[in-house]
Order: sequence, then C-alpha cells, then structure tokens
Amino acid sequence: MPDTTKFAATDNDNSGESSLQANIVLMKRYKILGVVGGGGMGTVYQARDLNFPEVRKIVAVKEMINPNTDPALYNSTLKTFQREANILATLNHPAIPKIFDFFDQNDRVYLVMEYINGNDLEALLTKTKELPVEKIIDWAIELCDVISYLHTQPKPIVFRDLKPSNIMVDSFGKIRLIDFGIAKIFDSGVKKHTMIGTEGYCAPEQYRGDVTILSDIYSLGATLHHVLTRQDPRLAPPFSFPDRPISQHNPKAPDALVAIVEKALEFEPANRFQSCAEMKSELEKMRLQPQVVIGGVKGTGLAGTDFFAGVEASGAIEPKWKFPTEDEIRSSAVVHRDFVFVGSYDTNVWAVNLSTGAFVWKYPTHGGIAASPAVDDSNKLVLFGSEDNTFYAVDYRNGRLNWSYTTQDKIRGTARIATEVDAVFFGSDDGHLYALASPNGRFLWKFQTGEAVRSRPVITNEVIIFGAESGEIFALGLDGKRKWSYRTRRPVTSSPFVDKVEGICYVGSSDNNVYALDASSGYSSWRFRTNGPVISSPIVEEDLLFFGSADGHLYAINAQTSREKWKFATDKPIISSPVVHQGAVYFGGTDEYFYCVDMQTGKERWKFKTNGAITSTPCIANDVIIFGSFDKTLYALPLVN
Amino acid sequence: MDLFRRFFSQPGSKPPDKPAAPESEPEIETTPLAPPASPASKEVETAPVAVDTNTPAPQTVADGATRPLPPETVISSSNEHLRFGQSTDVGMVRNSNQDSVFSLFTTSRSSDQRPDFGLFIVADGMGGHHDGEKASAMAAHVVASNVAANVCLPMLRGENDADRMPITEALISAVQKANADIIAKVPEGGTTLTAVAIVNDLAYIVHVGDSRIYLITKDGLEKITRDHSLVQRLIELDQITPEEAVNHIQRNVLYRALGQSENVEVDALTRRLPPKSKLLLCSDGLWNMVTEDEIAEIVMRYDSPQEACDKLVALANTHGGTDNITAIVLQIPG
Repeated sequence: MPDTTKFAATDNDNSGESSLQANIVLMKRYKILGVVGGGGMGTVYQARDLNFPEVRKIVAVKEMINPNTDPALYNSTLKTFQREANILATLNHPAIPKIFDFFDQNDRVYLVMEYINGNDLEALLTKTKELPVEKIIDWAIELCDVISYLHTQPKPIVFRDLKPSNIMVDSFGKIRLIDFGIAKIFDSGVKKHTMIGTEGYCAPEQYRGDVTILSDIYSLGATLHHVLTRQDPRLAPPFSFPDRPISQHNPKAPDALVAIVEKALEFEPANRFQSCAEMKSELEKMRLQPQVVIGGVKGTGLAGTDFFAGVEASGAIEPKWKFPTEDEIRSSAVVHRDFVFVGSYDTNVWAVNLSTGAFVWKYPTHGGIAASPAVDDSNKLVLFGSEDNTFYAVDYRNGRLNWSYTTQDKIRGTARIATEVDAVFFGSDDGHLYALASPNGRFLWKFQTGEAVRSRPVITNEVIIFGAESGEIFALGLDGKRKWSYRTRRPVTSSPFVDKVEGICYVGSSDNNVYALDASSGYSSWRFRTNGPVISSPIVEEDLLFFGSADGHLYAINAQTSREKWKFATDKPIISSPVVHQGAVYFGGTDEYFYCVDMQTGKERWKFKTNGAITSTPCIANDVIIFGSFDKTLYALPLVN
Repeated sequence: MDLFRRFFSQPGSKPPDKPAAPESEPEIETTPLAPPASPASKEVETAPVAVDTNTPAPQTVADGATRPLPPETVISSSNEHLRFGQSTDVGMVRNSNQDSVFSLFTTSRSSDQRPDFGLFIVADGMGGHHDGEKASAMAAHVVASNVAANVCLPMLRGENDADRMPITEALISAVQKANADIIAKVPEGGTTLTAVAIVNDLAYIVHVGDSRIYLITKDGLEKITRDHSLVQRLIELDQITPEEAVNHIQRNVLYRALGQSENVEVDALTRRLPPKSKLLLCSDGLWNMVTEDEIAEIVMRYDSPQEACDKLVALANTHGGTDNITAIVLQIPG
C-alpha cells in the first residue's frame, strides 16, 4: 500500500480510473476522438460534435470526477460545479475559450468547450530554445487584458491557478486561458502523504487562504519570470524568484520589463500592481519607449532610485592628502597612532603623518620594498623586509635602526608579530619561514619549505599558518615543528585568513582556487574556483568571504557553503586584498582604479582613478582610507559611503 | 589577546618579562583590520583534559597579567572519543519502514595522527510499491560508499592535497550521485538525505529535505538544518506561524528531495562541535511527534547515546507514531 506519493501532479486519488475509450459518444452528441491532456484534476478529450453532421466540428471535453461518496457532499459539489459552469458560459472574451455545454454522468462531470489548436506555454518552453522577448511582451499584455476582464466582472473572478500549462498559444499566436479553477471544486486540497514539488506559481498569501485579484498578479509575474528565465519555479524553493534575477538568465530582457515582472512578484500584495489594467498600461508604455542606455546603465523606466545618480565615477572624491614616493608602491601601508608607514620600491620605508600626510622620516634600504611593514608597539618598532635580503626593525618614532637580520635571498613576505611572545615571523625567497625575537632580532628557528615564502603568516590557536611558492600551505607549532600541510597545485602567495570562532582557514592559490581548510587538522572543507590565480588574501565579514582574482573579479561567497553571492567585474586582475568597513568592501585594481562596493549587493558605490596599478591592501583609520599605487603615490581618501 | 597568552605555555618560548605596553590602548595594531578575536570567556573555559606527554609542563608566572593558559584540548590527543547511538522504528501506523539509517565511526591512536572520522546518515523515503524504502536505502549506501572512498580512505592513507576532493565537495558529490542513481533506478521514489561527516570536532553537514540535525548543549537546542518544505518557507516569510504549520493542509509538501530532478541543490555547512555537546539526526517521524523541549531534555538526560535514541523513538510512538521514526545521537567528548 502506498504510504506516500511523489509529485503533486500525480497526486490524484482517481488515477486508477480508466479514461474514456475512443468512439464512445457522450450525451448522444460528443464522440470521443482521443485524449489531449490530463491535468491534475481530470482528463481533457478531443471530441466531435455530432450535431453538425455535415462538418467536422471539434470540441474539447473536460472530464472531472466527483470524489465524494457522501451523498450530501456529492450533491453540494455538483451544485458548485453547475454554478461555476454557468458563470463561465456567460464570459465573452477572445482569450477565453467558449463554453458550449456541461453535464454530469456516472459520477463524472463534463465541460464542453471550444477546442484550441496550439501549444501551452509549458510545452513551448520545452520545445523551443529561446522565445523572442517581443513575443513574450505581447503575451504579457494579452494576459493582463484577459485577467483584467475576469477581475472586472460584476462579481470578480479570481483565476487562482495561472501558470504556463494553463496558458495556450493558439495557431494565430494569440493567448488563450484554459483550465479555469473550476476543477479545484473537486479537490479537497488535503495532502495526506509527503510529496515533492510545489505549485511554484502561487502567491504566498494564497497558502493562508487569502486569495484576491492581487494573487493572480503574482502568478502572472511568476509565469512571466519562468518564461523569461526558463528557470522552473516548481524546482526551486517557493517564492524564491528574487534569487534568480531575470537579467542574469536572460540578458535580452529589457530592464523595464524586468522591473514590471519584479513588481508583480512583490511579496507584499500592497506593493504589487493593484490591477491588471495598471500592469498592462506599464507594459504598453514600455513597448512604445525605445531602450534608453546612458553610460552603460540602462534606465529602468519605472520609478525607483537611480543608484548611480549620486556619485559620478571619479572626480567626486578629492584625496585628503597625497604623499609622493620615488618609485612604485606595491605593498600596503600600516597605520599606527599618528603614523602611516609604507614601503616603496624606491628602497625606502616612509613614515608619514596620518592627518596631514606630512613627511616624518624615511629609512633607506639597499633594495626595493615589496613587503608591507608591521608594527610592534611594545618594542616601539616597525619591522619590514627588503629585496636586499635583510629584515629591518626600526624605531617607529624616529626611523633609527634597532636591529637587522640578513637571510639568503630577497624578502618579499610581510611579517606577523606575536606581541606577547615577542616573536616575529616572516618568509624569505630563500625558502624559509623565519622566527626571530622581535626586541633584538635573535634567531629562534627557521622552517624550510624549499620554495620562496611570500605569504604573510597568520597565528591562531598555537599554530602559524602560511603559504609557500611550492604550492603548499603549512601549519607550524610555535616551536617551528610542522603540524600539517596541504598541497595545492600552484604557488600560494595569498595570505591565509582564519575565522577564529569556527577555526576555518581561508587561503587563495595560483591554481585559481580559494580553499577552506580546518585550521586544526588541515583537511579541506571546500574550494571555490575562479578563472585566474588568487593572489589576493581573503577576508571574512558577516559570513561572507571576499577576495580578488586575477580573472578581474572581486568575489563575495558564502563562507559556509562556498556559494557565490556576487562578483564584481573590473578590467584587470585584482591582486589587492579587500577590506570591509561599515557595509562596504574597499579594494584596488590593477586597472588603476580604487573601488568601493556594497558588501551585500556587489553594486559599485564609487571608484577613484589613480595613475598606476593598485596591488596594495587598503588601510582604514580615522575616517581615511590609505593605499598606495604604482603611480608612486600614497593616497588618503576621505571615508565616504 | 587571549590567543597570544597561550603561547607562553609552549616549549621554546620564554615568558615575557614585562606586561604589554601599559600606557597604550589595549589593542595593538599588528593587524589593522583583523576581526575581533573570539570571546575570551570561551577560551578560558576549556578544561585541560589531556596534555601531550612530550610537552613540558606549562611554566607558571606569578604576574597575573601574563598567567599562562593550559593548552587547548585536542580531542585526538586523548583516549576519549565520540560515542553514538542509532535507532529506527516503523511507528504505530505505517506498515513498512521507509527510513534508512547509517553510522560509521573510526578512531585510532598512533604516531601517524589520523583524525577520528565519523559518517552518519538519515534518509526518509517516499513513494509507493516499496519505492520509498528503496530510494532511502540507495541514498544512504551510495552516499556512504562514496564518502568512504573519497574522504575516509584518503585520510587513512595520509593523503591531504588538492588532488583529493575537499570534504564538503565530496559529500555534495556523493549526494548528487545518489540522486542520479535514484532517478535511474527508482524513478517513482524519492527521499530526504541528511548526513554529517565528523573529522575530530568539525562537523561537515549535507542536507536535502525535511529530516533534521539538532545541536544540543547544556544551553539548549539549536536546529542547524533548514527544512525544504513549503510550510517552512511560509514560516520564514512570516506568512504563517509555526503553530499554523502543524495543521496546514500542505504540511507534507517538500520542495526539494532526492529523486525529484536531475539537478538537486544540496545545503552544505560546517560546524565546530563544542566539547560535551550532542548532535541529533532525525526523520520527521520524530520531530513531528516529540517537541523540541522534550528532545533536548531526553538527549541531555541520558549519558548513553543509544539509550537516548531508544527513549526518543519510544516517546514518538507514545505520542502516536504516525510515521516512521529514526534517530542518531552523537556525543562529543570533552
């Protein structure tokens, strides 16, 4: 005995009943020719009307079975049917098939109506690869027209069940509504068994029994959404249309049409069109207007705030100050108290006043500075490596050398300081990660990876995690002993980020992936593939993971599921690591722009043009954003949202 | 800064001889925009259950400000391990059990340091003519064999690199394989599938349908999966109340299950399991019959996970047992 049944469509208690055989004649008048379709609630036959012996007049006969065995219920259901059929018979609209006759016979009721030669929209979606948008707009207008006709009857009729399979496109290409809700009379609505699949097109309020003409408008929106996106709502979570933006699935859909469909799909009935006539007039208005394209942003044609109206690209933002250095700034600045420290490829580390941008001191080395400085406050030091192979610790108040330590090759890795153990960790191109005592530079230990270490180590729960150009990600104990390693397929230059609450480490690799690893065991949970090396270091904020890729995109993905939330396209690789501040993501591009993007939507808020690639990570302090550019300049922009 | 304090207890690192920069503000700008560290209280609570014998005892320093903390408990370093119970029952009304349940747990102690590994699966089948039980059995075993091959065995071999499927990816791919198999071999059947892979104290969860996973601690119960049901969506969207959902005519409608369509979207999440917490996997035959308060109470009351499972199933039957009932309880050491 079946305890459960699959799929709503086949949840028909009468499915065991056989359908009528061909050549059976009903009421001595309708000769059954064959089955044309079986909906959830009954079978539709093609039949010949024998009252017209001279011509072949074809009609459609819809058969519904009265499921009630209780005589009182049986009769009241029958009465409801007769009342509804009478109403349908009086309707007069080109998109509504004519009702010719109705009767009941052998526990079944029959509705005889105009036979429509054509396809329903669901079949059309299956048969075609693409439907022209102009055609869809025509259908939408015709649908608004016929539903409006129903809604404006003396006693308004709510269709209740608008969906592609209830909409026929006849041989003239015109819309015809079939399968009026009349069949629902025979459906108790109670679902006894677990079923998979929902109606998909119903308005949310319909499920609490609140059905109005506005529910039809939602279903119309749902139908148009399905037709435009070809994404079947029955296979998606109910009411999840906003998760499948039309523009993403059908770039040909004009923005104005998208806006109209989205308004029909508004969750709150009060926010939808309040009548089909209103929706129809918006559609007609849209069809008449040529598409307006301004500066790459298409006008929506509908009321709504223009997102880009406020800030027009660059120019609107004036830097608070700029500080020129003598060569490219490749690494990131660090702010400490009143100081900004930044290394330049001109071999100097510069100290600049945070509020004025005035020069404080500089420390010259013998090679370009590719790594960012790190500050050790307890020892009043700023620490950095240089391409002259040496790691320097300089008094941050006056720029005087405190100690230095020389490795066997260039230092391009940024240091990490564990203040309370007075240790500093950094990688060198000589293939080692070094641990030195930060007050005096005393050698503690080094760990050999075989290839250059340029990734900045992160420290969490007694482990130091960093990447190496060998492609490996290492986790060491504070004693320099290996705890675990994970091998990616290409160099890891990106610096790991650890979510300290969950103990998950996120890191990018030049094998194009971002990996999520268990920080305590090194086992990978997931990886997310981009189309270019990920040099940028990821950051997590509010469950979202942000990082840039050499494929030119900044990605926001769900840190739990690795599902993409949005990506923001720029013209060139993104090497810079993003920073999140008050709902916005800040990052630089090698396309010379500095960007501010909404962290939830991925929409651009503003951008700022420099004259060189930006690979440094921005630093935010005292309401300024500080970053360097390959144009040799250190910029301090005011923090505007 | 508690994280750093723990460094003092490490071999080779000397205790600092001065308190950290007393005149400065407490936060130190080594990482200008790092997220806030986890609450200090959480870290301190961790009890020093086991200390690696190779590690010298932590040095104690008189200075209160720099007192060392014991090392974090690592489950694999102790002899304690996860314990589990599993129970399934046809219920009081149905005449067949369409639920399937699977449990696997491995633990070892060796110089190789392999993690403890567990895989636990609940699947609730639907469809007549035995299709439901076939679908759920297929789901459980296809997922189990794929996860064993792609996660468990490589771990035993000590392989950990980008040539292996990441664990979540392996779990999702196993669920999708099960879905494809069901569509091919049991076309009229469908099933829910809720599975958790445990690696030490990290839980990797995949989920489709309305079976559930609850995380239960002394502070209460948390539902960590989301039902893929119409009524759950309506509740989330404030259209109906949880009370209205209980008697909603469409309460049995799922919008996502295995066997529905070629492409199944799988919910995936990871959770760090707190020491001494419990995880319950169950089919709707349990959570429809037993309130969440009762669940939390029973799971916390019984020290034996098997006993807790049996009591939960018994209570569901006492309350009517209108559907098949399945429960797995995991007890996390700590």
